[in-house]
Amino acid sequence: MDRIREEKIQRFEEFVDRRLKPDLVHAIAQRDKVFEQQKIFSDLKRNIENLERNSVTSLSTLVNLGSEVYMQADVPDTRHIFVDVGLGFHVDFTWSEALNYISAREEKLDRQIEDYTRLIASIKAQIKMVCEGIRELLQLPESS
Amino acid sequence: MAEGLKKKGTVKSLSSLFPPEETQKASERVRDTIAERHEELQQLKSFISDNTNLVNLVRTLPNELNHQIMVPFGKAAFFPGQLIHTNEFMVLLGDGYYAERTSKQTVEILKRRGNILESQVESLKADIQDLKTEASFFENEAGRKDLVEIVEDYEEESSLQEVSKAGDSKADFASSTEAESKGTGNEGDEYARIFSRIAELEKEEEEAEKDEDDEDEENEDDIDHSVNQDSVDQESISCGVDGSKLLPVYQDGSSQDGTPASSKPRFTESSIKPPVRKENVRAPAVTKEEVFVRTSEPSTNSSKAFTGSIVEHTRNLETNPREPSVAHSSKPVSRFRMNRK
Repeated sequence: MDRIREEKIQRFEEFVDRRLKPDLVHAIAQRDKVFEQQKIFSDLKRNIENLERNSVTSLSTLVNLGSEVYMQADVPDTRHIFVDVGLGFHVDFTWSEALNYISAREEKLDRQIEDYTRLIASIKAQIKMVCEGIRELLQLPESS
Repeated sequence: MAEGLKKKGTVKSLSSLFPPEETQKASERVRDTIAERHEELQQLKSFISDNTNLVNLVRTLPNELNHQIMVPFGKAAFFPGQLIHTNEFMVLLGDGYYAERTSKQTVEILKRRGNILESQVESLKADIQDLKTEASFFENEAGRKDLVEIVEDYEEESSLQEVSKAGDSKADFASSTEAESKGTGNEGDEYARIFSRIAELEKEEEEAEKDEDDEDEENEDDIDHSVNQDSVDQESISCGVDGSKLLPVYQDGSSQDGTPASSKPRFTESSIKPPVRKENVRAPAVTKEEVFVRTSEPSTNSSKAFTGSIVEHTRNLETNPREPSVAHSSKPVSRFRMNRK
């Protein structure tokens, strides 16, 4: 009887340690990536709005050549902007088009974040449930 | 590894020293470390190739007045544009400071960075080589039955002998070891202290020449501070005759003692010590005067005073050369012990 229980507990613990916890770490990393994307696009949106507000048509900036070496660059016409739409494709947008695209993209990112958050919550719930099962098998008093 | 083996000349076979499981674990760990180092090396190499690419780019950019490029705008967007002022670079020097450099100057900076990376690669390679030797030891040598480890504690033995040699004066030995254990930096302090003490004593003697009782107390103090109780007794016995005899004896003694005191240490002691010795040699000169002065004084008192002064200064002469030598011989002992602890 005791041996069976011990084996069960061991199987549960292995499930938590080898399956659920790596899953959780992975899901959190994925969500962080999406957060990053969200930040990039919100920055871009703010910048474009800035350009619009100040009606900037030409721009001079510094380009990073790598290893923090910069060179001056000149943009004669800022009304056309190439935005990364994924898979290495860039689309030539005007400002308003770009803003429309960005808001659609942000919506999608928000949904993704929500999905990941839900996934993380469910993994956490599973971990908690398995731990509770182990506790019952060990017949320990309730901790919390 | 062989901390437990402190007996003289222990012989153990290597395979018994390293149990196979432990050997396996160790070699695994070493191999892991090697893999880690290889990753680091790979990273450094990618840095180096980036750097050389950048050097080439920086070299070729000023060839033309402007270059058509896509100017990045944030991480997800670009503008079509061009590079202007192609011979002006802003280079990060570190800590948020940038410098405006020409193409040539930038190439120089980048080459220096490349050299640093190369040296890092070299040190990493040496590191990997060391680890590989370690791994090969665990894999090949540690398991062999025909290899033995011989452990012999040489220093322990020699230090014990020196302890017994120097052991005739325990108090001084303790104080000297204390002084030594503080390190070489405190040796100077120690001698400075002795120095100042001697000067102090001389001054006191000059001031209190007529006050014999005080003088005696001082002498006693001095005896307490100096080392060898047996030698003190012998000295006082040999010198403890009447005043007329004492004077030549003392003069001879001082001159005899003076020469070995000055000549001995030059052969045996380190260069820091002679100054102290000179001070000692000078000391009897002062006391000689005292002795002459005292001969004019009442005989009972003078004989008392003589024994006292003679005891003091012969003591200083005899023991002081000895004292540092004791300290000297005890030096390895204390350091060795420090290391052991």
